[in-house]
Amino acid sequence: MKKFLSVVLCFAMILSLTIGCTTQKNAGTGSSAEPQSGTGDKKVTVKLGIWPEDTLADDIKMHEGFVTELKTTHPNVEIVPSYYKYATDTFVSLAASNKLPTVFETWYTEPQKLIEGGFVADITDVLKEKHWPDQMNDSIKKLLSKDGRIYGIPRDGYALGLMLNVNMFKAAGLVDDKGYPIYPKTWDELAVTAQKIKQKTGEAGFCLLGKDNAAGWHFSNIAWDFGATLTKENNGKFTANINTPEAIAAMQYVKDLKWKYDCLTADPTKEDWASGFVNLGTGAAAMYIGANDAVNQPTQVNKLPTKDLALVPIPAGPKGQYSLSGGTPYMFAKNATKEEISAALDYIEIMGKSPMTSTNALKGMYADARSRVSKGVPVLPVFPAWTDPTFLEANAKITKENSNIDMKLYQDYFDAVKKPGNLHFEEVGSAQDLYSELTKVIQAVVTDKNTDIPKMMAAANTNYQKILDEKVNK
Amino acid sequence: MSFFKKYRDKQDGTIRFYDIKSSWIKFISILIFLACIIMVVIAIFPALWVFLASFKDIQEFRRTPTLFPNKYNFNVFLKTWNELHFLKYYLNSFIAVAGSTICAIFFNGLLAYGLAILKPKGYKIVTGLVMWSLLIPATTSMVSLFVNITRVGLDGTFLPLWLAAGANAFYVLLFKQFFEQLPKELIEASELDGCSNFKIFYKIVFPLSVPIVMVVAIFAACAAWSDFLLPYLVLSNTDKVTVMVRLFQFRTSNTNDVDVLRAIVFSIIPPIILFTIFQKQITQSVVSAGIKG
Amino acid sequence: MREKKSSSILHSISAWLIMLPGLILFAFFVWEPLLESIRLSLYTAKGIHLMDFVGLKNYIAVLQHPDFLPAIRNTFLYTFWSLIIGFLIPIIMATFITETVHMKSFFRVGVYFPNIMPGLATVMMWGYLFRPGKTGVFNILLSALGIQPFDWLASPAWTIPLIVLTMTWKSAGSTALIYMAGMGSINPELYEAATIDGATPWKRFLHISLPSIFGLGKTLLILQIISVFQILYEPLVMTNGGPNNASISVMQLVFRYAFEDYNYPMAASLSVIISIILVLLTAVYFKATKGKKPEYSTN
Repeated sequence: MKKFLSVVLCFAMILSLTIGCTTQKNAGTGSSAEPQSGTGDKKVTVKLGIWPEDTLADDIKMHEGFVTELKTTHPNVEIVPSYYKYATDTFVSLAASNKLPTVFETWYTEPQKLIEGGFVADITDVLKEKHWPDQMNDSIKKLLSKDGRIYGIPRDGYALGLMLNVNMFKAAGLVDDKGYPIYPKTWDELAVTAQKIKQKTGEAGFCLLGKDNAAGWHFSNIAWDFGATLTKENNGKFTANINTPEAIAAMQYVKDLKWKYDCLTADPTKEDWASGFVNLGTGAAAMYIGANDAVNQPTQVNKLPTKDLALVPIPAGPKGQYSLSGGTPYMFAKNATKEEISAALDYIEIMGKSPMTSTNALKGMYADARSRVSKGVPVLPVFPAWTDPTFLEANAKITKENSNIDMKLYQDYFDAVKKPGNLHFEEVGSAQDLYSELTKVIQAVVTDKNTDIPKMMAAANTNYQKILDEKVNK
Repeated sequence: MSFFKKYRDKQDGTIRFYDIKSSWIKFISILIFLACIIMVVIAIFPALWVFLASFKDIQEFRRTPTLFPNKYNFNVFLKTWNELHFLKYYLNSFIAVAGSTICAIFFNGLLAYGLAILKPKGYKIVTGLVMWSLLIPATTSMVSLFVNITRVGLDGTFLPLWLAAGANAFYVLLFKQFFEQLPKELIEASELDGCSNFKIFYKIVFPLSVPIVMVVAIFAACAAWSDFLLPYLVLSNTDKVTVMVRLFQFRTSNTNDVDVLRAIVFSIIPPIILFTIFQKQITQSVVSAGIKG
Repeated sequence: MREKKSSSILHSISAWLIMLPGLILFAFFVWEPLLESIRLSLYTAKGIHLMDFVGLKNYIAVLQHPDFLPAIRNTFLYTFWSLIIGFLIPIIMATFITETVHMKSFFRVGVYFPNIMPGLATVMMWGYLFRPGKTGVFNILLSALGIQPFDWLASPAWTIPLIVLTMTWKSAGSTALIYMAGMGSINPELYEAATIDGATPWKRFLHISLPSIFGLGKTLLILQIISVFQILYEPLVMTNGGPNNASISVMQLVFRYAFEDYNYPMAASLSVIISIILVLLTAVYFKATKGKKPEYSTN
């Protein structure tokens, strides 16, 4: 009888093991198989992960219009709305079970990780047929490529700036005679301004992030302005470079914001990307580092009227002024066929998010601008993710026609990022691990007055080097 | 003093009815009574505060240092309920809870019946395996479990959640202990009558086991309502999101604080109702499940 | 005789058939994933697909990761604080409720109330209660007493004790009920005999009440250690492991590896390490309860 038992048990286990193995093999071969092309009227189903969330009725209406548009030129394409919000903890499950939508939006931080994991499709060939690759901003293309193959396209580009709650500047008397905010041009000025605002209004002058990796992400921008380069690359080998006088000076500055100027929110270690916008939008903080593609956060999400939001250049440091920039990418499911990807790209064109300036594309851009106006989101010039001049011109025109903002509150930002050398891509190596190490130091300096910064930075440097050696320097 | 009258009937504990004559003991007794009231206040205050704070709007919540809201308007709850589609999450949660509870009773009950009463040859190995699985935290093998679920194509359905409740070592243990105390004569008699094993289960064992079935049902229902990691992995990005999954999604979403507070209120209402109805069974079952260790 | 034998085989087969559905579920949901974890921990992987066998390399990577030592240290700190706070409070609560006669069932139900709140809701709720600044609930209460606002979870030295306090808030009621049942079953004659011998109430408490729940306490203590060792959601939701790793736990590292970095082999390796530690702790438990089968209280 014991034998019988062990047979049953072994059977159950082997069964589940083999199920695992066989399907795994299937998945492997399935994904490497080239999709056949050529059959023009074959039915193509595109699952759109970029469909709006079901709470946004107006946006859905807009997209339904796009679908009708697409149907006229692509009668064989069926569009399946499948709203997907990228989240790290569920992504792999969807990818592993081939349930990813054909096209989805992800974060600026993710492309390399997703390419490395083999979760996303190589779209180089389809893009080349459409002649899009040449028009893509080179540095963004680099972000979305590996070994010369392209895996995504940018929805739009972004560059970090400083967002202001204009009301709070008014309340603190920091406006000129026309009522425009007198904003800080350097990090030192920012500290003083923030301190003034806190003293006058009782609310934080500046919202510093400290909860998760976004804290290190913001900090890297500050550090560049202080002259730091946090990772060095030499022949494909990466060296941690956190423990430098420049980076330490930047960290000292962050520490001063808390202990010398006391101008931050009550607990920076509770602040993350989203809560920063809550603070800015609800008037719990007057300044916050934010990018042009996130202007809907304080306004639409947190109900700040558009007229009370300003976006100004990132302050300069002793060693210059840089704006961290990148792009929000669209990426494609690994198992999507060439036809599906092509149809999805055509849909993106209709949305006005491609480099194309066809009638449909222009209509899409226009509809997008209108919908922003109706939602109370500032309509801003796009960031040159695509470099085609006709496209940029067309886009500028539509933006101007639908403007719902006082451009004076934004002009300096757009002027600054156009300066050569201002845009700066995120650190090379293993950026997320760098951020994670920096975030720990930030958490230490804002919670402990007596933190020994050089010691902490040295430790962070050692840790980061260890991870670099483990992960990328092989 | 009438406060101390009742102490004459005191049956348990260190302080006996005859001690109460001493004024020192009287004083201590009053202190203990006050301490108990404080304990209950501490136990209930946080939940009460969440409810009160939910009436605030985001500006008030973030900026005014008050415990109580300026005004009480139940429409804010209605607004959040509708905007976040809580009806849908409630329905999904109920489906998940109902299925999990049934599976928890049926599968674990049958397994325990085999281990406690039928005892076929080799059952001890299974008992051992089940016992050891109590020790391994579910989270450690969550990744592999999840991979398995996607491989057999069960993700995006309630099925894995229901069936997972059917493989719970703790419930097996509860059933097993109860079954072992059942009178053996009844089972032996029906065996002689030629009843099949399964027939004995649903004719004799199951009807006798209503108390333990209740206990497991309550535990399983509460656990299914509160569970979120597996449901989160399995159900995210489908239309089957449950209340707890939605709550967990707030971690990475842009919903404002007061909406989150109201969502917390929504998530604790069903357990409170369940608790109010079954408080006696619940407090009893905790004791009976825990004390045997 | 032969008939008896064949019927006993039939009996066995039908018994196994009855247990089969449960066994399959256990195999699928518990045992196989565990074996799979062990296997995964020895390989590299692309996403979830196994690539190359690398032996113990993942384990070395886990042990050398800069967050590993803080996580292990914190996990022991969680355990330590839960011994100080989490173990004593339920005993005190049980004693108090046992020693009252008024509103006893109200107290019993009242202290059990936090237990029915879903764990995630509790954790999120306490996150709000501990909000720093002048609008945080506890700071409002402090300021009513004229005390300056406190940083709560943001001060590294307080993070872990405060998280343990919230865990205790949730679970103490149910543990207290178990102790109460233990205390309630003490034979009253013991007390009466002791009184006749001249023992004061305090002495009776020390020498009769406490010893009578000693065995119960030992079991609950070890179960508590095992469960605190797996702490995950409290730091994940309340502090994200911060400030500066002051509250990160080993399970949270598993969560990070798996669900944030997509590094499943490292997640699996750390899982295996945790399981080994837990098995060792359980061996201690077996020893302490003299070979009894393990038993879990509900929380």
